Amino acid sequence: MQILMAHFKNYKKEVLSAIISIFIVAFVAVWQPRLLQYVLTAIVQDNQVEVRNYGIQLIILALVGIIAGIVNVYSAARVAQGVTSDLREEVYTKIQNFSFGNIEKFSTGSLVVRLINDMNQVTNMIMTIFMQVFRVPLILVGAFILGIITVPRLWWLEVLMVVLIMGITAIIFKKLGSLFDKVQNLMDKINTQAKENLQGVRVVKSFNQEGQEINKFNQTSDTLNNVNLKIGYLFSTVIPSFELIAYVIIAAAIYLIGGSILEHPSDIAVISSYVTYIMQLLYAIMIGSFVMSIFARGGVSLKRIKEVLETQPDVVFKDDIPAEELDGDVEFDNVTFAYPDADKPILKNISFKVKSGEMVGIVGATGSGKSSLAQLLPRLYDPTEGTVRIGGHDLRDVNEKSLRDTVSYVLQRAILFSGTIASNLRQGKADATNYELERASQIAQAQEFISRYKDTFDHEVEERSSNFSGGQKQRLSIARGVVGKPKILILDDSTSALDAKSEKLVQEALEKELKDTTTFIIAEKIVSVMNADKIIVLDNGRLVAQGTHQELLENSPIYQEIYATQKAREKAGDIIE
Amino acid sequence: MLFTIIFTWAQVEAPHYLGLALTALTKYVEQYFNPATRATASMDDFYQALKLMLIFFILNAIIMLFTWVITSRFNAHSTNNMRENLFSKLQKMTIKYFDTHQDGKILSLFNSDLDNIFNAMNNAVFEVISQTALFIGTIWMMFRIDVRLALVTVASTPFVVVLSWIIMRKARKYLDAQQDEISNLNGYINEQINGQKVIITNGLQEESVEGFKVYNKKVRDAMFKGQFYSGILFPMMQGLSVLNLSIVIAMGSLWVVDGTYSRAVGLGLIVTFVQYSQTYFQPLTQLTSIYSMIQLALTGGRRLATIEEQAEENQVPTGQELKSLEKGVKLEDVHFGYNENKEILHGINISVNKGESVALVGPTGSGKTTVMNLLNRFYDVTGGKVTFDDVDVRDLTLESLRNNVGIVLQDSILFSGTVADNIKYGKPNASQKEIEEAAKQANIHDFIMTLPQGYNTEINDENSVFSTGQKQLISIARTILTNPPFLILDEATSNVDTVTEEKIQKAMDAVIAGRTSFVIAHRLKTIINSDKIVVLKDGKVLEEGNHEELLKEKGFYYNLYTNQMAFE
Repeated sequence: MQILMAHFKNYKKEVLSAIISIFIVAFVAVWQPRLLQYVLTAIVQDNQVEVRNYGIQLIILALVGIIAGIVNVYSAARVAQGVTSDLREEVYTKIQNFSFGNIEKFSTGSLVVRLINDMNQVTNMIMTIFMQVFRVPLILVGAFILGIITVPRLWWLEVLMVVLIMGITAIIFKKLGSLFDKVQNLMDKINTQAKENLQGVRVVKSFNQEGQEINKFNQTSDTLNNVNLKIGYLFSTVIPSFELIAYVIIAAAIYLIGGSILEHPSDIAVISSYVTYIMQLLYAIMIGSFVMSIFARGGVSLKRIKEVLETQPDVVFKDDIPAEELDGDVEFDNVTFAYPDADKPILKNISFKVKSGEMVGIVGATGSGKSSLAQLLPRLYDPTEGTVRIGGHDLRDVNEKSLRDTVSYVLQRAILFSGTIASNLRQGKADATNYELERASQIAQAQEFISRYKDTFDHEVEERSSNFSGGQKQRLSIARGVVGKPKILILDDSTSALDAKSEKLVQEALEKELKDTTTFIIAEKIVSVMNADKIIVLDNGRLVAQGTHQELLENSPIYQEIYATQKAREKAGDIIE
Repeated sequence: MLFTIIFTWAQVEAPHYLGLALTALTKYVEQYFNPATRATASMDDFYQALKLMLIFFILNAIIMLFTWVITSRFNAHSTNNMRENLFSKLQKMTIKYFDTHQDGKILSLFNSDLDNIFNAMNNAVFEVISQTALFIGTIWMMFRIDVRLALVTVASTPFVVVLSWIIMRKARKYLDAQQDEISNLNGYINEQINGQKVIITNGLQEESVEGFKVYNKKVRDAMFKGQFYSGILFPMMQGLSVLNLSIVIAMGSLWVVDGTYSRAVGLGLIVTFVQYSQTYFQPLTQLTSIYSMIQLALTGGRRLATIEEQAEENQVPTGQELKSLEKGVKLEDVHFGYNENKEILHGINISVNKGESVALVGPTGSGKTTVMNLLNRFYDVTGGKVTFDDVDVRDLTLESLRNNVGIVLQDSILFSGTVADNIKYGKPNASQKEIEEAAKQANIHDFIMTLPQGYNTEINDENSVFSTGQKQLISIARTILTNPPFLILDEATSNVDTVTEEKIQKAMDAVIAGRTSFVIAHRLKTIINSDKIVVLKDGKVLEEGNHEELLKEKGFYYNLYTNQMAFE
């Protein structure tokens, strides 16, 4: 709730007008039966002047009600939309401050659901607050008091009704809360099952498992159905029993009034409004339970949003450090790193130094920690122990913008965004000129296919970049990486979909065009990094050897072994890429 | 339905008896205070009316209970049916649909549209039926009791209808816009967060937030308008209802004053019609208050209906059963294009004899994956035919065809569940022994045994229990377990280290051995070991033969081989 409060502050005027108008609406709702009663009394008494007076008042009241109602909807919608979209922006900005570890922990899907679905629940809740919540207690109390004033001697009837209804409500809503929780969890499960089914649609079909998938899905769906049924049955008993209580009370009231009509003959005129008050009480309580169910759901959503907002980013850049030009020296000083929540470190006591402009190859088996090591350079994660330095500065003491300008990381999986080729390449350098784009795509061996498009760099990148092949995507992703002429470039197995010839061309172009750039190349094949100034060999998270290809061949048994097997297989014509 | 009618009857009758009770009471009081009639004054009529009113009230509540139970059962079950039907409809649809539609949009049918429909049904279906019945019932009762006052009560209706129609049209427009803007925002967020690594490493967070603001603002504006227009209906109707009430009272009391009605009758009539005027307006008010809910459900219904209209895979129920493969598989003059105006395969002939292994090589975009898509009918040829034992695949039952064709995809997919569940995916009743045997053949058993829970370790596609290479081994084990006579293998481009690659190679050998197979090959060893190599380029078969023969030809394959180009 505090989260919402903070945002309500920005909409003081709207909040105020929503509250004032809802008070008016509530007042109108409560006062109207009373006026009605006056009119009827006047009719009974044959007092035409009063009939007209009260009649006009009734009409004015109705008009006031309409205007206040519209003002209320307007203000409530303003507040609800304002607060939700501000909150959504706050959450999104927060997510943009997350480290990659934070995002993985939540999972992309869950973050999207929180930003869309949960926010909608919050909108509903805010609308309800300003359109119902303030009204319900007002009508409740107002109808209660006016009812008692109307026929004071029957006060105990109303009290009895309220006590009975409140009692039932209390029992049932406790149950309802836990049921809503279950619904939410089952919705998650349904979502996951459907998502996996769509992702693996080819597997499902080729194994003829449609029937099995349907069974699995139906099981979950039926479980959800059972919970929904329980909720439905609860509501089904609640509302009629409320009505029954109210009806019996009304009948009792009329009976009692009728029985003593001779002592209080004027009570005839009040019966109708008394009935209206009881019905209003009932109505208020029913709306109240409806509101509570919206609150139950909205509360769950707010909790999920709060979780995002309260998460501390794993990696925080210090604000007070001025931007400065860094050079391409890199140093790992006894670095140990474990992923959040992992029990074993993936990198252990890694130390090495790289001079500006060098080309560094990183080799080792799957799971040896190559990508993990590379991810520490752009500070996607912080080391658990030890220090990573760029240009002599501890990364934890470097200005974020300086780091981003210095380090460029080309990922294993080439990700493009829908837009144009140019808009994707300019992500590497916002103000890149056309000449710079061309130069970058030449380095990445992308110029050839780009120039074949009529609209060259303005060529559209479709959703999920489905209009590019794997090799083209990697080339574009490399071009994006080099367009800003970074001091440090990391190619994380980013040429896997390129043929050997193109891969070589990329490396040669890098050497020529980005002479001063420190380049890290993560590769599975030694061939890819043979010409590097330095090769780092990782095994099981440890740096087991470093040096040039020749040095390693002489000194490192592990390197020798890897190279021998690869070479043997290459000779056998096995490795050709 | 029957209940609804009884319920409505009870609801309409109850105020009638309330009015009767009041009239009786008034009469009693008048008679009592008039000395002439005091002796005959009796409360009997009053008690009689009261008794009837109470009976109708109780009846009302009981019927309501029944109706609610029935409708909530109906709603839950029908939503459940819709959900299950949607899912099983999806299972029957063609691959083409999934290749051309975003998963996220299909998923939103489960998340948001079905939810909207369920909500609306819970609040609306019963409401719409009962309110409509109540509306008609009220009109009928009013005219039965007093035509004049009834006419006064309904006089304002045309005005109300026109007014609400105008507002509803606006509301509908903006509610539709709201849904569109939400799905655009959804798309943006989804893409951005999926590419978050690129955003972080390029320092694009602020730009991303800026882009977000544009979409967010559009959602905000559209939602505001949608909520405003659908929201003002309710207070307007409520106010109009009170205005109508005043008209009824004014006219009623006028007629009492000028003597058209006697006082006792008139008072009773006014009280009754005050009730009726409210019941008369209640349906209008109630329906407008849930208008946005109904509108959103209609949108959801439309979206579900478009799925329902999608083409299904032809199961060929009357087709031949493919028992096993005796002769082999052939592609005969196959033409195919994903779009009508863009043909990708231009008359391809390939034959695979029983027991043979055929490697398909060629550059990106040559149509290799497309060929694979045709073999087990993910897509159908546009010209020529694909035959199994000389029978056109379109004449075989789809199930028997796919039972005989095993597939190992380039991108390995894991499902949430245990490791064992994933391996026995194609054969759910496999024994633990069979599972382990398959895993051993696929070279993944040893690794599985190092996991804390072994075969019972819970995995999903996202978590990192398995590396890419190991995922591929699992999917090979999955195929080995189903033991298909014909096999399609799409080798992954090598993103794995040499040790894992060795394992994959061995696993591939194991799965190919003794089977008829079709391999989209990237590894030279696979290619050289195959019985026949087919070189595909630009949708045509360029060369065909074994390794030595093709080298001798000194053609495209020779160039690929000598230039060390990738067999992408």
